[in-house]
Amino acid sequence: MKHYLELVPISARVHRKQNRMSIFCIILAVFLVTAIFGMADMFIRSQIMQAQIDGGNFHIGIKDITDEEATLISKRPDIQAAARYGVLNFRGNEGYTFEGWNAVIVGCDEEYMTKLMVDIIEEGNFPQNNLQVMITLNAKEYLGLQIGDTVAINTPGGTEFHYEISGFCNDNSKTMSEDSYGFFMTTSAFRKMYPTEKSDKLADYNSILCVQFSDLKNIQNTINNLKEECHLSDGQVSENTKLLGLLGQSTNSFMVQVYMSAIILFLLVMFAGIIMIASSLNSNVMQRIEFFGLIRCIGATPKQVMKLVSKEALNWCRFAIPVGVAMGIVVVWVLCAVLRVLSPEYFGAIPTFSFSLPSIVAGIVIGLLTVLLAAHSPAKKAAKVSPLTAASGNALNLRPVRKAANTKIFKVEISLGIYHAISSKKNFVLMVLSFSISIVLFLSFAVAIAFANHTITPLRPWTADISIISPQNTCSIDNSILEKLEKNPIVNAAYGRMFSYDVSTTVNDDRVTLDIISYEQKQFDWAKNYLLQGSIKVVQNEVNTGMIVYSPENNIEVGDTVNCRIGEKPIEIKIAGILSDCPFNTTSNGILICSENTFQKITGQNKYTIIDIQLDKNATDTDVNALHQMIGNDFTFSDERMGNESTRGIYYCMCLFLYGFLVIVALITIFNIINSIALSVAARTKQYGAFRAIGVSTKQLTKMIIAEAATYTIMGTVIGSILGVAFHKLLFGMMITYNWGDTWKIPLNELGIIIAIMVFSIIIAVYRPVKRLRKMSITENISAQ
Amino acid sequence: MEILKVENLCKTYGKGEAEVKALKNVSFSLEKGEFAAVVGESGSGKSTLLNCIGALDTPTSGSIFIDGQNLFSMKEEKRTIFRRRNIGFIFQSFQLVPELNIEQNIVFPLLLDYRKPDPKKVNEILNMLGLTERREHLPSQLSGGQQQRVAIGRALITQPKLILADEPTGNLDSKNSQDVMDMLTTASRHYQQTILIITHNKNLTASVDRVFQVSDGVLTDLGGVANETLS
Repeated sequence: MKHYLELVPISARVHRKQNRMSIFCIILAVFLVTAIFGMADMFIRSQIMQAQIDGGNFHIGIKDITDEEATLISKRPDIQAAARYGVLNFRGNEGYTFEGWNAVIVGCDEEYMTKLMVDIIEEGNFPQNNLQVMITLNAKEYLGLQIGDTVAINTPGGTEFHYEISGFCNDNSKTMSEDSYGFFMTTSAFRKMYPTEKSDKLADYNSILCVQFSDLKNIQNTINNLKEECHLSDGQVSENTKLLGLLGQSTNSFMVQVYMSAIILFLLVMFAGIIMIASSLNSNVMQRIEFFGLIRCIGATPKQVMKLVSKEALNWCRFAIPVGVAMGIVVVWVLCAVLRVLSPEYFGAIPTFSFSLPSIVAGIVIGLLTVLLAAHSPAKKAAKVSPLTAASGNALNLRPVRKAANTKIFKVEISLGIYHAISSKKNFVLMVLSFSISIVLFLSFAVAIAFANHTITPLRPWTADISIISPQNTCSIDNSILEKLEKNPIVNAAYGRMFSYDVSTTVNDDRVTLDIISYEQKQFDWAKNYLLQGSIKVVQNEVNTGMIVYSPENNIEVGDTVNCRIGEKPIEIKIAGILSDCPFNTTSNGILICSENTFQKITGQNKYTIIDIQLDKNATDTDVNALHQMIGNDFTFSDERMGNESTRGIYYCMCLFLYGFLVIVALITIFNIINSIALSVAARTKQYGAFRAIGVSTKQLTKMIIAEAATYTIMGTVIGSILGVAFHKLLFGMMITYNWGDTWKIPLNELGIIIAIMVFSIIIAVYRPVKRLRKMSITENISAQ
Repeated sequence: MEILKVENLCKTYGKGEAEVKALKNVSFSLEKGEFAAVVGESGSGKSTLLNCIGALDTPTSGSIFIDGQNLFSMKEEKRTIFRRRNIGFIFQSFQLVPELNIEQNIVFPLLLDYRKPDPKKVNEILNMLGLTERREHLPSQLSGGQQQRVAIGRALITQPKLILADEPTGNLDSKNSQDVMDMLTTASRHYQQTILIITHNKNLTASVDRVFQVSDGVLTDLGGVANETLS
């Protein structure tokens, strides 16, 4: 030993058991910060990838400029890539067709396909001249086309344009769902096909300039500079809101609210980490003070004692921070791997072993700073200990007792337990805060789940993989098609609906326009979960009855009669139920749902408007193409699988991320409580030994420890619930009420769950140290270090 | 009437080369009202003997009977309650509960037994200890001698069959040490209290009835007042 500070590792070896708990606490806090920040980073990365795949990897679109201006803008040094992009027949209502199907025509520069879209080219190349075209992959699969084949696109004016296929690109969910084909051609080829006169203005060709900036840090500044220098108005520049939002660069008010909420959540996580470390260090302060008091006896100056304490804390960090960070990284890796397994289509590109630098830095910085700050106070306390007090050898006397415990209200062991909890104000506040922060974190993150459920609608039981839709939404699909589909082995379920739109009715002397829709058995079964009032059975079995779908605008109630007249006979329909939701809520009319029999009676129609198909899990693209061919061209074959898959992927990702957060918060709560109680018991081991010697039974000792733990828990629960509910309300207002107008309610379920977790943790927390004390003989107990 | 009976008591710590035989076949007994002292060098085994008699530690073999009851045939919980009611402890470092005041510390064993303290008895003990004026004070507000007097009061309150005192004067000056010894002697005479103390201060054995010496784990009964024999 050459220097007095070398005492630190020696003492660490002796006090390994006490130090282990503090180290464990630092590991937990660093792990919490690293894992949560890492998960957030990975989530944002995957969402950025998703946004780039879905909406393109460009930041803004500029319209109403000329080709010359577009060229000038694309040559600016702050722009990484820029390309013109225009579209024809986007909504399928302009009459451009290919082999009788809708053709969506995109005219763009090569950079759009190669730099601004992610992995869009599946095979071949971007057209090199005006006679070449790229086509979506569904054409290859369904029509058997190959590169080099010639295709003809018909315009509404009757002209036919012939192109050679230069390549295939990935389908997007829009072309699949609308049963159309996408064509990608050069800008000049596109302009030749465009019906209006030639000019050099992009706006004349329904085109914009898509721009990707090179510097991602200050995109808003770059946009402002660009607007100023190129004299662009606000209306000319539109943001790719989703991508900019994920990059943290959006000025969209919705995104700003989301950023603010995220900042609050991250501050809470940081605060939780800080409180946990501070509480743990403060808890074993008594043992440390005794030890350092002895050092003072031997002749150390207060300054030297402070140095020793800080060195000791830093020594813990040397082990605890790398372990915490490593654990965080591994958890993030595991989650990334789970994401890849859950939705390989969308998260396949996430590297399983990627590092999140911000989370690692946050873990290290928060761990180190907190430990140093938290160690400062015990160090000061230790430095203040007079050598005389330390020399008396009675560590318990080092803790100043100002007021005797009140033994009149509770039994003596309970009174002492409560007194142990509240005797040191600072320790009490830290413990209560560390317990309550778990509730605050849990409730705050619960808001994020409600937010996810609003932004991403999970797939409903009635969600179809494929829909067969009659032209112009008439009742024209024969029942025999449904029967054929039901017999097909790749079809899991098929169900038809008849629609009658815009039916004028009178209800309670009010004129109401309703859309009348028929349900069959399956749809009635699914509707059971959404029944607000009335009976589905009545609607199913009794003719001339129906259900209304709730909407704030209509005030039709159960028992009301709807009078309608389609054709000659007026018909009365009795309302027997109200549903909260149905698969079709886009219409502004009210929705009346009835059985097929009632529908036939009202309208005289008995053919379906739409048949929905849910496919077997093992159905392949070839099977779907065969199905498409079986249905033929008379009906629209709407393939929703891709869109569903995307929704499912994002929903899983969100759920995994948010529930992952909640599980981590719950685990941290359990570990923190167990650790805090263990530390508190460890600090009093000697005293408990003395108690046992005087005659305190282990049962009474258990009650004493339970009373102490319960005091922290009850106070922590009360304060945590008040603060948690306040944060829940604040975040709910910012994230949900602001956007969707939902009213806030006290989150009783979430509150119940976290309180149950806390009570469960307390039981485990008390059980272990009591078991340890029970095993010790009283003499071991008294002389315990 | 035999209050304490120790039979062939052995206590061994460690195993193999590290094995230490702290007590070797110790046997003796104490009658009611007897005031006995155990003397011996540091590390001779006297504290181990006291800890085993007080059921703070378990012997490797042998038996201890208090008022005819075998201490180690009882289960842990029952033994604790038995100890609480029948054995009073006085420690060298007092072991008072810092969170409780003097009166609360004295009645603590009664409270643990969920019994209501008799105010008369409490006042009597406080009087005897000379602490009536300080009954509301906390241990930290008392001197070492006063704290040890509180510990004696706590040991006396349950009127145990046996009081065990481990170096009760070890942390006190000679004046306070003599005061404590006088108080224990008074208790022994006044309440017919059986007391066994450990001390290495041979001068303090002047007032005891019997003296035992422990050397290398072996107990020797030195008979009457130690001073005569030892000197």
